[in-house]
Amino acid sequence: MSADQKPKPAYSPEFLAKFHDELEHMEKTTLKDRLSGGIKAQFKAFTGTEVKETKEEFRTGSGDFVVKRVYTPLDTTHIDPIMDIGLPGQMPYTRGRDPLGFRAHEWPLNYYAGYGSGESAGERYKALYASGARELTLAMDLPTQIGLDSDAPLAAGEVGKVGLAVDTCDDLHRALETIPLDEMRLATVGNCNSPWILAMFHALAESKGHDPKDMHFQIQNDPIKEYTGRGTYIFSPSVAIDISSDVTEYICKKLPKWAPQYNCTTTMRWGGASASQEVGFGIANSLCYIDAALAKGVDPVDFVPRMHLHMSSDNDLFEEVAKFRAVRRLWAKIAGEHLKTDDPRILALRTTVFTAGDKLTAQEPLNNITRTTMHVLAALLGGADNIVVPAYDEALALPTYESARIATLIKNILHDECYVGQTADPMGGSYFVESLTTQIEEKANECYRQVKDMGGAAAAIENGFYLKEMSDGMYRQFTEVESGERTLIGVNKHIRETETPIDIFKGDPEAEQRQIDRLKESRTNRDQKRTAAALAEVRRVAEAKNMGNRENIVPSFLEAVRARATVGEIFDELREVFGEYQAPNVV
Amino acid sequence: MSNIARVLIGKPGLDGHEAGAKVVARMLLDAGFEVIYTGARQTPEMIVRSALEEDVDVIGLSLLSGAHYELCRRILELMREEGVEDIPVIVGGIIPAEDIPKLEEIGVKAVFGPGSGSKEIVDTISTILEHAA
Repeated sequence: MSADQKPKPAYSPEFLAKFHDELEHMEKTTLKDRLSGGIKAQFKAFTGTEVKETKEEFRTGSGDFVVKRVYTPLDTTHIDPIMDIGLPGQMPYTRGRDPLGFRAHEWPLNYYAGYGSGESAGERYKALYASGARELTLAMDLPTQIGLDSDAPLAAGEVGKVGLAVDTCDDLHRALETIPLDEMRLATVGNCNSPWILAMFHALAESKGHDPKDMHFQIQNDPIKEYTGRGTYIFSPSVAIDISSDVTEYICKKLPKWAPQYNCTTTMRWGGASASQEVGFGIANSLCYIDAALAKGVDPVDFVPRMHLHMSSDNDLFEEVAKFRAVRRLWAKIAGEHLKTDDPRILALRTTVFTAGDKLTAQEPLNNITRTTMHVLAALLGGADNIVVPAYDEALALPTYESARIATLIKNILHDECYVGQTADPMGGSYFVESLTTQIEEKANECYRQVKDMGGAAAAIENGFYLKEMSDGMYRQFTEVESGERTLIGVNKHIRETETPIDIFKGDPEAEQRQIDRLKESRTNRDQKRTAAALAEVRRVAEAKNMGNRENIVPSFLEAVRARATVGEIFDELREVFGEYQAPNVV
Repeated sequence: MSNIARVLIGKPGLDGHEAGAKVVARMLLDAGFEVIYTGARQTPEMIVRSALEEDVDVIGLSLLSGAHYELCRRILELMREEGVEDIPVIVGGIIPAEDIPKLEEIGVKAVFGPGSGSKEIVDTISTILEHAA
């Protein structure tokens, strides 16, 4: 270090007083001149008329915070560079969980895909594998996700629509026939049906000659998401959380390489929650699962390190970067306090980002590529561990292969070509981002306490609190778009009169009938005695649970799946024992 | 035409992404309509039964999963069986452009895609009701 590069004292009172004077001076001179249209040297080009800012007040994208004209050291005096910001890989993980940042990171080609019948999804998976995909999240159709057979009356018209139709383990096997399980990391949503999903992947590994213990499977196992985002629930929250912790317990004890849970706030955000609510509610939901597993005697060290928080990445670049930094910091503090631990494996939160599909427009859909690129940039700058990106045509239909490939490559282009990721937490130290990180952390902490005080996540579902908060946020965003206060290009600004249509994915109209035929055949050609016995065992365990017995339901599912019981048959047993949940009708 | 018509907003099918349906329900409330919101996961039978019980003037359906054609067809069929096919049915959600004529052909009166404004929706409903009156 040369003599003229002496380290500056960190914000002494004298320095701050001097900076305060400097700011005041700027506001009285340059800024005043600029707003009054006064002619200063740098504004020679402007005429001498009064200048107005485009808004009375500038707010962050989720509306929670007023954004100032400029941020200075005066906005970060309350932020401790060591205790609050710190270093990557160290408490409180504001700057990321890895001391290397992304310098050792290779972004995989990952896809969330699966539609129609086993054949068409199988072809897609085969093509994805051939093109280098090594991470695949299977999308399953809605009947499968809520435990209905493809020929159930409620399933009519929905079979194979938003994902793969799976009735028995043979359907899953058919879809993944050509995929080497030891090379592809597989995941699926599986929330209300998580013990069944576990059993299905278990049976898949067995049928392909692998020991399930050696496989890497990941199950979302997050029923809370279904009450707050997608409506794909079956049982009451308390039953669903109990079953989900059975899955966590089983995986921790028997399947050490599997990831038992990733808690998803993405859909809460898409449904209207703000950035701070996403953080606060996400932490409350994660702790709800952790407590449920703790109650079954599972050691948090056995599963929390493999959990991650699955978040959105929205339109306000800086608010999102701050959010990813804030969630790690707040998690480290709350989890440390709640679980009374300083174990970095638990306190260094992993985040997966599924970028904001809700902000994609059906109008001029190619512009969505620009939008998702910014969402990915926010996730990279915020230090997300994994990134999944919806395709530009998803506001219109399921993605095509081409659009899905464009989406997954965005992060690779930003990282590999655009030099994003050479240094850890590049926004760290920004007056604005540090100030916003602290604001989000404080507000999120309030949201977390609010849920905690009403009895935790399950209570916040049952009393309608989550749904009401989201509905209010969503309607506020809608009215802002209507009034023009919130800009959506192509929707309320720069609207194009006629649009060039794009090629979109078209499903196979025959797939539903083919799947139903296959299901009927499967029901006939099986060892009926074995199936009946396996279903009786599922029911016995469910009834035992209802009596307050702590028996794990997973082993009975393993046998039921092997015995070719269908998804609908298995869940009918549970529905009869536990009853179905009726959601509060909150508008 | 005054805005005191009763509108049913419902989500037939298994998809539970309710945000869009709720926004429309609140927008219609703000515009002075009476709104009956059924919530998600409704069978066609449940939708038609609610429409009869609540004596609604318009049925609005929100559909995102791609199952719009089958579900609308079934609802309109049930309405004919019940003799209430004169209640106008409108649809909103993710509906590919080429499916709009198919829905209109089976009797859907209007289809609103993503980004439809409240004025457009309110005006269309009012016009449909004037014609129906």
